[in-house]
Amino acid sequence: MKPINLVQTSSTPSISFDPATNSLFIIGESYPENSFDFYAPIILWLKSALKELTELTMDIAVTYMNSSSTKCTLDMMDVMEDAYSRGVKTSIIWHYDRENPRSYELAEDFREEVTFPFEIEVLSK
Amino acid sequence: MDLYDLRNEFDKLGIMMCFNGPFSHSIIEEIGKALRNHLAAENIAQAAVLDVFAVYIELAQNMQNYLVLHEFTQSDATSSIITIAKRKAGYAVSSGSIVLKGDGEAICQRINEVNAMTPEERKRQYRELLRRDLEPGALGAGLGFLEIAKRSSKKMTCSVRSVDSSCVFITQTAFI
Repeated sequence: MKPINLVQTSSTPSISFDPATNSLFIIGESYPENSFDFYAPIILWLKSALKELTELTMDIAVTYMNSSSTKCTLDMMDVMEDAYSRGVKTSIIWHYDRENPRSYELAEDFREEVTFPFEIEVLSK
Repeated sequence: MDLYDLRNEFDKLGIMMCFNGPFSHSIIEEIGKALRNHLAAENIAQAAVLDVFAVYIELAQNMQNYLVLHEFTQSDATSSIITIAKRKAGYAVSSGSIVLKGDGEAICQRINEVNAMTPEERKRQYRELLRRDLEPGALGAGLGFLEIAKRSSKKMTCSVRSVDSSCVFITQTAFI
């Protein structure tokens, strides 16, 4: 499996995979110049990773994403849903800041779209 | 050149930040950072800061995506304006740019359509659009105005003014 390690910028989150825990971390904010170009390689990586792995947790701490990033995020969740239906143990942990209720609402919206385990946790400071 | 009158006009309108010129992603980022710092210093809730920022990003990226899609290169067409104003209650973010006549009408129509929806209808359409396959080369998912409406305190406004036989200048304002 190819490693993945994208460094955080002002408008793109850091994205990294920890093979020890099978966790894909997405941290930061997401409003890239072109969301579809930014997320396309990550979606490809996810598809191929989910062919090899038996479990994967997406660990998300994104404080803000623009509307096209939400579309891309749902596309990633669809790939995970597909793997889940094949028996791969996929799950999401979504971290939100108590002072940022929109992030919680967004997580709830996403959770309605999938059937695999989806936890929403408040970030501890 | 004396900018005093221009500055007075800005003050009258409550404009605290303004950019006028050729847009780029890095400019959008930098203005966004400055906007957040400015709002944070005003001691408003973090959620409200993010709402103003999010509306600004959607409007600015809409303009930018339009320029990229239409490969506008003439300086008058790439030159766009964005303002962030402080109102009695809340903030107003406005974008102004040149678009093709038909597109100007379509954008205003879309804004009116979203304005007429209930929050439930907006949520339903948001979910529908999230699920819709995009056309190749699309830069947005059509979700922008729904996202803006979610974060707005009142309905968006939109107006167009004729520039020449093929183009109009469109002004869009959202209130947070």
